[in-house]
Amino acid sequence: MQLLILTVVLLALTGIGFSTGRRRALAVVEGNPRLLHSLPNHHGYLVALWCGIPALLVVVGWLAFEPSLLHALVISALPPELAEMSDERLSLVYNEVRNVALNGQTAGSDAVAEAARHYLSLRQTLFGATAVVALVLAVAGLAWARGHIHRDLRARNRVERVVTVFLVMASTVAIFTTIGIVLSLLFESLRFFHFVPVSEFLFGTAWSPQMAIRSDQVGSSGAFGAVPLFAGTMLIAGIALVVAVPLGLLSAIYMSEYALPRFRSVVKPMLEILAGIPTVVYGFFAALTVAPFIRDLGTSLGLTVASESALAAGLVMGIMIIPFVSSLSDDVISAVPQSLREGAYGLGATKSETIKQVVIPAALPGIVGGVLLAASRAIGETMIVVMAAGLAANLTANPLEAVTTVTTQIVTLLVGDQEFDSPKTLAAFALGLALFTITLALNAVALHIVNKYREKYD
Amino acid sequence: MTETTQMARLGAVRPTAEIVAARLKRRHNAERRFRAVGLGAVLLALGFLGILLFTIVGNGITAFVQTYVRIDVTFDSALLGIEGDTGPDALAAANYQAIIKQSLYRTFPEAKTRAEQRQLGAMVSSGADIDLRKMLTADPSLLGQTRSLWLLADDDIDMAVKGHIPRQQGIAGNRLSDNELRWLSELESRGAVETRFNTLLWSSGDSREPELAGLWGAVVGSIFSLVITLLVSFPLGVATSVYLEEFAPKNRWTDLIEVNINNLAAVPSVVFGLLGLAVFLNILGMPRSAPLVGGLVLALICLPTIIIAARAAMKAVPPSIREAAAGLGASKLQVVTDHVLPLSMPGILTGTILGMAHALGETAPLLMIGMVAFIVDIPATPLDPAAVLPVQVYLWADSPERAFVERTSAAIMVLLLFLALMNLSAILLRKKFERRW
Amino acid sequence: MLRKTMAVAAIAVASLAVAGTAHARDQIRVVGSSTVYPFTTAVAEQFGKTGKFKTPVVESTGTGGGFKLFCGGVGPDHPDISDASRAIKASEIENCAKNGVSEIVEIKIGYDGIVLAAAKRAKHIDVTRQQLFLALAKEVPVNGKLVENPYVTWNQIDPKLPTQKIEVLGPPPTSGTRDAFIELVFEHAAESFPELKELKKTDEKAFKKAYSSIREDGGYIEAGENDNLIVQKLDANPNAFGIFGYSFLEQNEDKIQGSMVDGVAPTFDDIASGKYAVSRPLYIYVKKAHVGQIPGIKEFLAEYSSEKSWGKTGYLADKGLIPLADGERKEWATKATSLVTLTK
Repeated sequence: MQLLILTVVLLALTGIGFSTGRRRALAVVEGNPRLLHSLPNHHGYLVALWCGIPALLVVVGWLAFEPSLLHALVISALPPELAEMSDERLSLVYNEVRNVALNGQTAGSDAVAEAARHYLSLRQTLFGATAVVALVLAVAGLAWARGHIHRDLRARNRVERVVTVFLVMASTVAIFTTIGIVLSLLFESLRFFHFVPVSEFLFGTAWSPQMAIRSDQVGSSGAFGAVPLFAGTMLIAGIALVVAVPLGLLSAIYMSEYALPRFRSVVKPMLEILAGIPTVVYGFFAALTVAPFIRDLGTSLGLTVASESALAAGLVMGIMIIPFVSSLSDDVISAVPQSLREGAYGLGATKSETIKQVVIPAALPGIVGGVLLAASRAIGETMIVVMAAGLAANLTANPLEAVTTVTTQIVTLLVGDQEFDSPKTLAAFALGLALFTITLALNAVALHIVNKYREKYD
Repeated sequence: MTETTQMARLGAVRPTAEIVAARLKRRHNAERRFRAVGLGAVLLALGFLGILLFTIVGNGITAFVQTYVRIDVTFDSALLGIEGDTGPDALAAANYQAIIKQSLYRTFPEAKTRAEQRQLGAMVSSGADIDLRKMLTADPSLLGQTRSLWLLADDDIDMAVKGHIPRQQGIAGNRLSDNELRWLSELESRGAVETRFNTLLWSSGDSREPELAGLWGAVVGSIFSLVITLLVSFPLGVATSVYLEEFAPKNRWTDLIEVNINNLAAVPSVVFGLLGLAVFLNILGMPRSAPLVGGLVLALICLPTIIIAARAAMKAVPPSIREAAAGLGASKLQVVTDHVLPLSMPGILTGTILGMAHALGETAPLLMIGMVAFIVDIPATPLDPAAVLPVQVYLWADSPERAFVERTSAAIMVLLLFLALMNLSAILLRKKFERRW
Repeated sequence: MLRKTMAVAAIAVASLAVAGTAHARDQIRVVGSSTVYPFTTAVAEQFGKTGKFKTPVVESTGTGGGFKLFCGGVGPDHPDISDASRAIKASEIENCAKNGVSEIVEIKIGYDGIVLAAAKRAKHIDVTRQQLFLALAKEVPVNGKLVENPYVTWNQIDPKLPTQKIEVLGPPPTSGTRDAFIELVFEHAAESFPELKELKKTDEKAFKKAYSSIREDGGYIEAGENDNLIVQKLDANPNAFGIFGYSFLEQNEDKIQGSMVDGVAPTFDDIASGKYAVSRPLYIYVKKAHVGQIPGIKEFLAEYSSEKSWGKTGYLADKGLIPLADGERKEWATKATSLVTLTK
């Protein structure tokens, strides 16, 4: 709360800085802004920046260092019988101290109550000091910047330099995200490959990651051959594409070549809804409705269908990616120049003949690119397979059997267990790395194809 | 001579016009077939959507009401275990379950054996005692008195009343025993069963008991996460797009950033979850299950979406506007802040809302950062453990009780409603402010 | 526009300032067995409803996984209570002590049977523990030698059993149910085979390894720590059996049915009386160092050990917990209030 007040006060000061700077600038030139190098507003901004940024940095610094500083100070002031305890005990005592101080818990001992009072007063002092420093800096910055306003001050250039620095910093966040992903995946994967050789992971055909967790227990052997997972992923993604590509492509053709504009304007958004529904909903739908339906259907045909058959998960995933295929195909079909179509009509071709023999071949690279993008989406999809696909790592091509996928295993291995010293947990990161690499490669190829295709008709 | 033979030969085959007509008919049929197949594909896709929504609504609509049963309850201080001591602490810790069970036994004295009494006791929710506690703490003079009260029914009773559990007696393996079904019918004939609007679904957090489980904790968790996501990703996204679109020189470095953003947009969300686990939780030591961390991970996920949308919106602003402004002496930044940004803001906001909608439905990365624990309390700050709506759907979908199927579907309906509102506002925004150049 | 941008930034800064306020842990954290999970969550909910303390956060990590987290150390970053579906092992106590967790309070909360269950519509079997061993062990004695488990269908073990594939969904090594299952079924069964009995005399270690290895060729499927998921999968697949605690059977009696083991069906009364052979006690373990430091642990234990929760007609019995005998309950309740620690 205090922090909020301080922030608001600082922000208000910044606002004041802006208006004084502006007024000062106008006063310098006796109300004739044309004599100024920069607009009065820019002088205002410059003062505001001088006023706000150093103060804000102080507050942020306080936020970052307050917990550890307080911890050290409170601990050092504890009576000797408490201070002599191990670090872990101390952290517990410290937690109690904070609970007493902040959440109104009753203290277990006088020492703790004393420490809690100490904690509060220290916190108050530290915060007070920070507030004073921040306010002084803000006022000083304001005064200094205001004092330096003169008609030739290049206020605009300075303000813009600051803003540009911020813009550049923001644009590097995306880079850092990628670096973060790659490093964290690589780092944990390397630790994993320390336990399990790369070749076994990539080419082994047995997946049984549940290892013993005590020395006097016998778990499973801990086989980490990921081939069944890759095969399962491919099987489910393949089924999804078998569903989505014909449906998506045909809908795209119908929508772009045949449908009346009114039909199109109503139906297209409705199809897009399919892409907007959260995947957890699809997972629930697959597990609750589709999987039992397929099983019963199969049983009535005399087939044995596993309850979490690859078919059910793949089918529902296929429904989910229809809009990806259809909207991407729609784009590329619309991009085929009208002259090609007119040429075909001129030779007497019917519309469907034109589409089949002229438009589709011309749009094929783009469509292939779209299908690859959809495939990468299907491979990385998690919730549907977590909820509707199995856990047993079967190596099979039969869509009626249960298979498991890379994403399912990542979730299963990591949920609940947070120990980072066993190959079991680290395996999830190795799987993540494989997934990242595969989807990245698919995307690179797809984007390359699509771009090349666009250039052709531009 | 040759002419006549030729004529004869031609006469033997059908005239060209006829051939053409037949072929044309075939071709037109193929045309119609192709068109029908196309329409069929569209309708099939829409059909899937219809089935999906129909299943969810059909399963979930009943969750918005809840069954209550009326029982005469006696506040017996001996059973409550508070003889002599009626201080607020004693009242809070009293055994309200016991008086509910006693009242049930009195209503149906035929339940004699332990097994029967267990069945009878299970007809009222194990959470019904909260209301009694509230009543008694508010008015201690109720002690020793008997009141006719509406109590929250157990989930199985609720399911039977709503028709999700068969009411016929004698079905082997029914969730409700014949005894319970008989008692339920008797209560109904006395007018002591009623369904009311389900307020608990909107006001309480998660619970192991379906009749007590609510969405409010998850809704609050979702709001916290989304606010964090918005605060982080919107400024960063807009700043990045401004830089790339208006300032960045065309060189290797900016190419790298561009490729990077396009690739990030395609990275599976579960990988972002791994990043969150490794960096935010393990290295930076942030709390598990907290909306703060969830919001940060979601911000990274929807950053590329926002950047791509914002750049498209800025690209659509015609260069003439920039040139005109520059011609009047505006600096590059002034051109951006005074002309390009205001003109492209509707597009940027639309993209942001769509990104937020995407973040709202995201589940997998949140599982990685521990947002799957059983959390009852409503989070008060973004640092408290919390669930979010899609994770709540996932948790409930895994629960075995029949009543959770209904709750899950209801949670999905709420989630879809939020998504629909967000998307609708994006569409309206685009319609209202879209400008064609 | 720049001014508006600045205003938006200001709001963002102010909101983040509120979000950034640090806070201490003031709620109990419980980890451990998925079998005990439904009981602990029920108590946690009741406890939370009294309104004095925050509702404890309960995570289901498996008994072994729970002890690993529990024994990680003392302090707010480590859980306060661990649920267990078996008694703590000496090696775990050692591990705890190594990390400074020396005072552990053990509270026995009740009994639970381990059941072999299948979907209602499935064929039901009456198996002996020997047959279960033959169906699920990694190596079984055939003609006097230990060989890789050759049985694919149940009727290969005993012609009286059905002609269907051996397909059993069971818990992973993090689970206490698995440990207890191995102890109660495998160890017992192994001793009845002369080949293994011989081995026990000559090489105790090899014997232990022989009886505690579960097959990995698909007959036994590790289904994760989510017992609910196993129930759903059984309901979907009538050929499969599942291994889990009795409480899940009781909660799902409309979908699944327990198989008889050694001629006794898993029912409340037969487990309580000890007639059903595969039953074990359930425990919770409390870190004494945290009592008084993390608010509410004492009160939570009082709620857990009160008659209205673990008594004969308490709400935990409704959830499928088989209560301790009257005298035993009193004894453990005293231990819970006076925080008697484990001695080695």
